[in-house]
Amino acid sequence: MTIEKYQQETKGYTMTTVMAEAARCLLCHDAPCSAACPAHTDPAKFIRSVRFRNFKGAAETIRENNALGSICARVCPTEKYCELACTRTEIDCPIDIGGIQRFVTDFEQNANMDILKKGPANGLNVAIIGSGPAGLQAAATLLTLGYGVDIYEKNEKAGGYLTYGIPEYRLPSDIVDIEIQRILKLGANITYNVTVGQDITMAALKADHDAVIVAAGASVAKTLPLFAGNPYVQSAVDFLAEVKSNPTGVDLPANVLVIGGGDVAMDVDTTLKLLDVKNVTDVVYEEFAEFKASDKELAGTQKQGVTIVDGYVPTAVNGNTVTFKHRQLNSELTIEADKIILAVGQQADVTNLGIELENNELTHGGFHTDDPKVFVTGDLAQGDKTVVVAVQKGKKAAEEIHRVLGGQTND
Amino acid sequence: MIKKDLSIDFLGVHFENPFCLSSSPVGNCYDMCAKAYDEGWGGVVFKTIGPADFEIDEVSPRFDELTKEDTPFVGFKNMEQIAEHPLEENLADLRRLKTAYPNKVLIASIMGTNEQTWEELAGMVAAAGADMIEMNLSCPQMTSHAMGSDVGANPELCKKYCEAVKRGSKLPMMAKMTPNITDMVIPAKACMAGGADGIAAINTVKSIANVDLDRKIGLPIINGKSSISGFSGKAVKPLALRFIQQMRDAEGLENLPISGIGGIETWEDAAEFILLGSSTLQVTTAIMQYGYRIIEDLTNGLMHYMAEQGVDHLSELVGLANKNMIPAEKLDRDYKVLPYIDWDKCIGCGRCLISCFDGAHQAITWDEATRRPTVDPERCVGCHLCKLVCPVDAISAGEVVMKAGRVGTAASKEI
Repeated sequence: MTIEKYQQETKGYTMTTVMAEAARCLLCHDAPCSAACPAHTDPAKFIRSVRFRNFKGAAETIRENNALGSICARVCPTEKYCELACTRTEIDCPIDIGGIQRFVTDFEQNANMDILKKGPANGLNVAIIGSGPAGLQAAATLLTLGYGVDIYEKNEKAGGYLTYGIPEYRLPSDIVDIEIQRILKLGANITYNVTVGQDITMAALKADHDAVIVAAGASVAKTLPLFAGNPYVQSAVDFLAEVKSNPTGVDLPANVLVIGGGDVAMDVDTTLKLLDVKNVTDVVYEEFAEFKASDKELAGTQKQGVTIVDGYVPTAVNGNTVTFKHRQLNSELTIEADKIILAVGQQADVTNLGIELENNELTHGGFHTDDPKVFVTGDLAQGDKTVVVAVQKGKKAAEEIHRVLGGQTND
Repeated sequence: MIKKDLSIDFLGVHFENPFCLSSSPVGNCYDMCAKAYDEGWGGVVFKTIGPADFEIDEVSPRFDELTKEDTPFVGFKNMEQIAEHPLEENLADLRRLKTAYPNKVLIASIMGTNEQTWEELAGMVAAAGADMIEMNLSCPQMTSHAMGSDVGANPELCKKYCEAVKRGSKLPMMAKMTPNITDMVIPAKACMAGGADGIAAINTVKSIANVDLDRKIGLPIINGKSSISGFSGKAVKPLALRFIQQMRDAEGLENLPISGIGGIETWEDAAEFILLGSSTLQVTTAIMQYGYRIIEDLTNGLMHYMAEQGVDHLSELVGLANKNMIPAEKLDRDYKVLPYIDWDKCIGCGRCLISCFDGAHQAITWDEATRRPTVDPERCVGCHLCKLVCPVDAISAGEVVMKAGRVGTAASKEI
């Protein structure tokens, strides 16, 4: 199946079908969906707006609460958040909140709406290291509050994992580009190809700004000692980035082994199948009952014909041959592959940024570091590592800076 | 498959079932009516035939719909007038239909411009083989004010034209009423006085269904303009039932023979019209949306209803609900029925809470932790708005409570 065909299969609502879905919504008094959205995108309010045909109002609700509303509409694991809480589930199945959000944000785009407005300049400036979802949301929130924002991005394009990680079939790059353009239009300055701590010092950023937010994410692939130096091995993040920058030109063998069971592993699996790799086998440490990947991604991956083996750990590697043992059972599995992709997690790289992390995040909650002028957000702050939670953390970190620098918070 | 006798006699004519096409776009030519007969319709009211010299010239487009959420055709607006085919062609179609379908009922709808043309048309359709005549006194979108609903709102003209039709033919005749009037009893009585044998009601309601917000023109748009025209479909059913009840209830119109029209889509709609006094039924909008095939579920559903009611003849059901509609001042106001909330069925959406506060009497309280509503029996007036808005039928009629100082017992109340 090609990417185009996949996208056709997941095409969005029409004006008529979105009304049908919105009409299923019970419009609850205490809307558990809205309480369950980490980014406070307020689905209860925007679905009610759709129900009363106020599509522009719906777009305002989404955009004012979530500067990456179009992206979240496509990649948010809604079944873990808003849709898990949906009261409609007690009748049949939850409202397709992600789908409605996608319709509304597409409507917003087609109507050329400019919802977020730059706040009156307050003379304060904030530097943000990293332009992934948390950094972008922090930028948007600060800009609407009147701050100047300078973003420092180590890559040549903005977006972080949105641009270099999440596959095209799940998140088309033009959607990411549009969201970034909105934030640029709001007044963010982005300097590309600059690694803070290497090309420019943290001290210099601090000297020029009233606060610095480290939103560098966990962008470096973890590996497993067994696979050190193995020429058959590529990391999931490298593989996904390679496909994103060269969607059709990546040369792939017929038989690929993937190790890992998170959403990133599912992205790798599905991407391999969409690139016509004949045999994709994914061996996963967790058993299905404890799976990390979202049900939606797991189901999508299985539908593509990927063989997923759960509950096994790699115990021996000999070149392109990997032996696994089951975690509970006396069972062994040996797989020979032409290529091995490790999707076993990522870690942060905060070299020369003067930040203390443990297990790739702050040892305490919140966004403050030991340096009163330096904050973290995104993956480096405690909490889930999803896009929607990155948005939440970006917003909260920005509001915290606003509070510290003498402004007023929204909540 | 169930088999019950749906036949009924109306104005002396035997119908194999009460369902007829109403005079409208759905019965505009031989082929349409033949197909409807083939699919099981008991009768056809052929699209209104006018005088030879009255030229019909229709606009394009000519329809509009009222929608709600994703539901189309909640109501339907139509700008078509009467039959656009030449008079001779219409009469020829009537002759062919009667020859090909001798056992089906063929009703000719006619509309004259003055006494003479009414009388002449009546004679012509009788000669062509029609079993019955329906006088169209009610089309609200005619280009002549001497025709259509302007006539139906004028009792003197109604009577005069009924007399003319009766002079033109001895066929049984029903006069089709316009709802664009406060009291339908007045023209109905005028028509009966003029010789009508029964009444058909209702024709469409004058309407503007939608306005194009950018162009500031009602829909449909015809070269930058629009017109008021007739509204039909499900949305008008309550209006039709009300007019029919009022006529059946009027002094001097007891047991008025009625052909019921207005938003009939299902056998349940049909049964309601029958219970309020309709002997035959006419359908257009549902056919325009779904086709003649809806007759299968209209007839089969009605047969099952007859079986459930233990009725062998449809006529036994006609008008059974009329006596149970009484003036507001005669209703029993001595008690209230508290709603009963079944917490096992309740899913905690809180819609009852919102509607009770914002639209009723602030009688429901909400437990935020359990997400369950509770009714305060003192504040509750028993309006049952909560029951209507509940999406899972968790709210039903509960305890009957007598109002303070009233005579009688709660147990005696038929709630």
